[in-house]
Amino acid sequence: MAETEVLPDIERKEKTGEKSDLEPGWLVICWNDPINLMTYVTHVFQTVFGWNKQKAETHMLEVHRKGKSVLARTTMEKAEHYVHQLQKYTLHATMERES
Amino acid sequence: MKLVRAGKNGLVFQLGSRAKQLLLETIELYPLVPASHHRLTKEGDAPAPDEDQRLLEESLAEQRRENRRQVQAMLDKPDRFRKAKSGFEFTLTRPEIEALLQVLNDVRVGSWLALGEPEQGEEPPPTEENARSLIAMEVSGMFQSVLLAALGVSESPEWAG
Repeated sequence: MAETEVLPDIERKEKTGEKSDLEPGWLVICWNDPINLMTYVTHVFQTVFGWNKQKAETHMLEVHRKGKSVLARTTMEKAEHYVHQLQKYTLHATMERES
Repeated sequence: MKLVRAGKNGLVFQLGSRAKQLLLETIELYPLVPASHHRLTKEGDAPAPDEDQRLLEESLAEQRRENRRQVQAMLDKPDRFRKAKSGFEFTLTRPEIEALLQVLNDVRVGSWLALGEPEQGEEPPPTEENARSLIAMEVSGMFQSVLLAALGVSESPEWAG
């Protein structure tokens, strides 16, 4: 399972203003669909990203409570891969260029 | 349907005749979500949005054909449903459970889309078609919950609120 960079890194970089051309520039976002079971979403995050249960639950709850969660910050190719994987499980996922 | 044991060939579930029929009828509905439902980006900011979208839809269509094939092969396997004392024993490997979860969630989401994407507690108009979608949505969710619990994923009280 490929490693992903997650939100805390983004927040730190945003605060310090550090950026370089080598940084990945795409975000993988999961949006809330009220129909998906919370257990199912947790399972899919664990399966697609190889996360432990606690991390998967944290992101699932963020989707559930805030309407979306940024799951990864990565290259365009990897973002496409993750979006495909999430959509394969019928989750509402998109990729977005990091602003 | 409930998990009865972990066997050498996978997880063994027990289900009655009616539950077996419901499971097969639910699987038969797959796929329900239109390929065009999924978008790669929300605002079309992909480098080549049309081409990327076409590739996404092709990839998802291929995935569905593969799921359909895999699930059909799974159901056609001799002794898939072994007659037991009360009903049947149904054995699934981990990859088969993954494929079945994808199939069931497609049916659940597709039924929800057909109902007009109602919010929780919102009741769609009582039509025959809506009744069918509502049953498919609830039944697929019920089977998903059993499979997820068998994989060790269950709801936590901390998720409430």
